[in-house]
Amino acid sequence: MRGAWAAATAGILLALSASPSAHRLDEYLQAARVSLEHARVMLEIDLMPGATIAEAIIDHLDRDGDRKISPLEADSYGQDVLRDIVLELDGRPVALTMADIGVSSLDELRHGIGMIQLRASGDVDPRISMRRELHFKNNHQPGTSVYLVNALLPSDPGIKVVAQIRDAKQREARIQYSISPRWPKHLYWPVLGAAALFLVFRRSKSIDR
Amino acid sequence: MFNRRPVIELAILLALSSISVATRQRTAPATDATSRAVVAAEAFLATLDQSQRAKANIDLNEKTRTIWSNLPVGTTMQVGATERNGLRLGDMTPPQEKAALALVAATLSGEGYRKAMEIVDADEVLETRSAPTRKPGAPIRFGRAFFYVSILGKPSTTDTWMLQFGGHHLGINVTLAGRDSVLTPTHTGAQPATYALDGRTIRPLGEENDKAFALINALNPEQQKQAVLGFEVRNLVLGPGADGKMIQPEGVRASTLTPQQRTMLLELAREWVGILGDEAAAAKMKELQSGIADTYFAWAGPTTIGKGAYFRIQGPAVFIEYAPQGQGDTNVDHIHTIYRDPTNDYAARMTKR
Repeated sequence: MRGAWAAATAGILLALSASPSAHRLDEYLQAARVSLEHARVMLEIDLMPGATIAEAIIDHLDRDGDRKISPLEADSYGQDVLRDIVLELDGRPVALTMADIGVSSLDELRHGIGMIQLRASGDVDPRISMRRELHFKNNHQPGTSVYLVNALLPSDPGIKVVAQIRDAKQREARIQYSISPRWPKHLYWPVLGAAALFLVFRRSKSIDR
Repeated sequence: MFNRRPVIELAILLALSSISVATRQRTAPATDATSRAVVAAEAFLATLDQSQRAKANIDLNEKTRTIWSNLPVGTTMQVGATERNGLRLGDMTPPQEKAALALVAATLSGEGYRKAMEIVDADEVLETRSAPTRKPGAPIRFGRAFFYVSILGKPSTTDTWMLQFGGHHLGINVTLAGRDSVLTPTHTGAQPATYALDGRTIRPLGEENDKAFALINALNPEQQKQAVLGFEVRNLVLGPGADGKMIQPEGVRASTLTPQQRTMLLELAREWVGILGDEAAAAKMKELQSGIADTYFAWAGPTTIGKGAYFRIQGPAVFIEYAPQGQGDTNVDHIHTIYRDPTNDYAARMTKR
């Protein structure tokens, strides 16, 4: 098997002379996902610097220059990213609080295969409304970045995403959604059970008569 | 006096429905395909020594099944693990490797196995190109030796177990549960996306690309306007590491397509569905067909064949993305794809029953 493979490998033609790096080199990919809840907006951003721009990001992360990223430095970078995010609901700013940040090893970042994973959330007034609009804009490192932004399918069936309007680069999005009144989940079964018992009781009464 | 009859009727009804649920909970009998996979898995495990077997055959649980990635060896995966499950081909003897690949072949369709091995070969090409400029001691490696085969759980014709075959640009995850086998979530990718081997031009994901361009160009202007997103999409939205998430559908709804266009859409999806064997693929295609009216097709990028463009198929039981990496003319040579089922990743539906 190996011999056959070695022979086959010998026949492989190398068509490209470009860089052998497996991943994008000069772009900072920033992929945001937005979760809409009744009284909260959650934001996940995966930031992936390409190999040729990674050193600049590492310099930003590694504030004390010891070539290690401490939790404090990671946190500080996350706060910088959040400061660059504009998030408004119905025209009012949503204050984001960072929940978590994870940073790949410096080696991985340098090779363009590392990632910074940021999670944040912001409380919003739990208003029931036919139409709400969340405005998102990512101003972090616009010179080298490419962006994605998407609304996740809401887990609350009462929340429906109506439209997502983005600019050509996906740096900015207006996510329109509606919220309908909801029954508290813990009341479903007690109410259903009580209704079933009532019907059985009524039927037994009518048969008695 | 209180009449007990309605209460007894209700009790009988509840008892009958419990029996019905209990019956469904039994795993359906294995198909020949599952039996073949079990035989091949046992044959592979029989070639290994004890320490190899401990690596190749691990517990199946909610954590272990999520350890897979698009990334090469030497990197931390999206889920935080630093190494894939299982044994890598490079650490196997020739008979062990033969048995490992026979297991992969027994679990996938002929077409699926070909596609998987062409992705492996593409990574070998990448390794050949990368090696001369690699810094000494660099942990990142490409190539055939760094593809892993893993069995999660005990191979069985009745109980749930999993086969994983993966490396850079490949994350095949097959969950087998009796007669059911489920391919989602699975990642395919390729770099280079076109290469020559033994005088033949190989395009591991060529059919996916070509069928998608044929479909977007078969849409009328109004349909195309619906399908084409007005912004660039430069990567997978729900790639490896995004288990359990789903985004809002966008694009043209298949209910507005003609029967011929719907067939083209289904044939495009078959490029992923058909990685599994015939019977499992046929069942999945039937499911896609039944949900076709609620399935969306979205596109970002040029519609001229030969250029790189992103597309997505999203329906009640399917989520597929195809994303060229980078930009300009070179992005056609580096592709990432993902195949998910919002209702049945890792056979969630079967194992919940």
